[in-house]
Amino acid sequence: MKCNQIKKRFSDFLTGEIDKATRKEIEEHVTACGSCRDELESLSAIWTKLGVLPEEQPSASVRTRFYTALEKYKQSLEKEKARPNLGKLLDAWLERWAPRRPVFQFSLALMLLVVGLAAGYFLRAGLQEGGEIARLRQEVHLVRQIAEVSLLRQESLSERLRGIDVTSRVEQSDEGILEDLLRIVSSDKNIHTRLAAIDALHLLPDYPLIRQDLVQSLSEQTSPLVEIALTLTHHIKNL
Amino acid sequence: MNKATDNNLMEQVRDGNIEKLAILFERYHVMLYNFFLRLTSNRNISEDLVQDVFIRILKYRSSYRGQDKFIIWLYRIARNTHIDYLRKRKDYISLGEEWDEVPSQEPTPPEKVEQAQEIVRLSQALAKLPLKKREVIILSRFQNLKYKEIAELLDCQIGTVKALIHRSIKELGKAYFELSGGIAS
Repeated sequence: MKCNQIKKRFSDFLTGEIDKATRKEIEEHVTACGSCRDELESLSAIWTKLGVLPEEQPSASVRTRFYTALEKYKQSLEKEKARPNLGKLLDAWLERWAPRRPVFQFSLALMLLVVGLAAGYFLRAGLQEGGEIARLRQEVHLVRQIAEVSLLRQESLSERLRGIDVTSRVEQSDEGILEDLLRIVSSDKNIHTRLAAIDALHLLPDYPLIRQDLVQSLSEQTSPLVEIALTLTHHIKNL
Repeated sequence: MNKATDNNLMEQVRDGNIEKLAILFERYHVMLYNFFLRLTSNRNISEDLVQDVFIRILKYRSSYRGQDKFIIWLYRIARNTHIDYLRKRKDYISLGEEWDEVPSQEPTPPEKVEQAQEIVRLSQALAKLPLKKREVIILSRFQNLKYKEIAELLDCQIGTVKALIHRSIKELGKAYFELSGGIAS
């Protein structure tokens, strides 16, 4: 073994966790190698010297304190055991009314679960088919239409523009709203409102009603801007 | 006094038979006291720490799983107790200082004077080492733990423990040499 490998075994040599063969190998190496011998000697010297540090006995108070603490701990455990526990009382009370019969209790729990699931399923189906949800949806739709129409018929320009904006954002507009939008395009006094209504109509699919009205309105327009906007809508452009 | 019995006793303590802790206390409190004495250099503090360890055993008894040897679990608690103590009180007295300051009640006979000085010097040299190096020397030289056990306790490889012992002894020798005024003995 080389010096480096030998030095790695020095701690084994000191602690005694070493087999005979390795010990012999180290001893042979240090006989021949001065540097390793010096290092092992100085390590062994301090290791041996540590033996002078005496093992002391603690004072008697350590034992007294320990047994006092142990006794106190034991008493606190016993007190805890003796104290009525709300959970245990409740258990005992329930036990009196319904003695523990796991098979019966498990079956009952399972049955209740099945009943609960079935009830939930049928209740949901009933709502979807009939009733409440569909009715509510219809009502919301109606309220929305009223809001849209009332906005489109406002005197205030900004309110009418807001109405057009709301209309253009909804996915489906019904015929009443369409008529209002077409009326705005053909007869609103403000160019901006007319232009906004054209934009909103441009987003809608190509219905014959829209196309027909827009063509007619084109001939009645006075503003070139509105005329250009109309010709650019896909309703007229694709003619 | 085999280790299985220690584990068995601790399992009984865990399961509520806490009187059994008295047997473990009688077996190990002197060993723990000396472990702390060499680490902290102070008798009173070492006694307090021994007390703390056994209080902690009671407090955490339900966490004992019995997979580790009891002795490893015990030293793990002891190390944590010592580290917590160091955090709380950084200005503890070093061993050399304490032993210098507290003279023994009996006058030291002349033939013992040299040995007493040696003890002080070695204790001071030990106190100069970083905690981990001090621990590893104490565990292997005084507490007779094997490499495997120290590795388990420090949560590292056996090779690391060996190298650490080698370096620590070397450093201790250097510190001792300096304290002796550079006179090699």
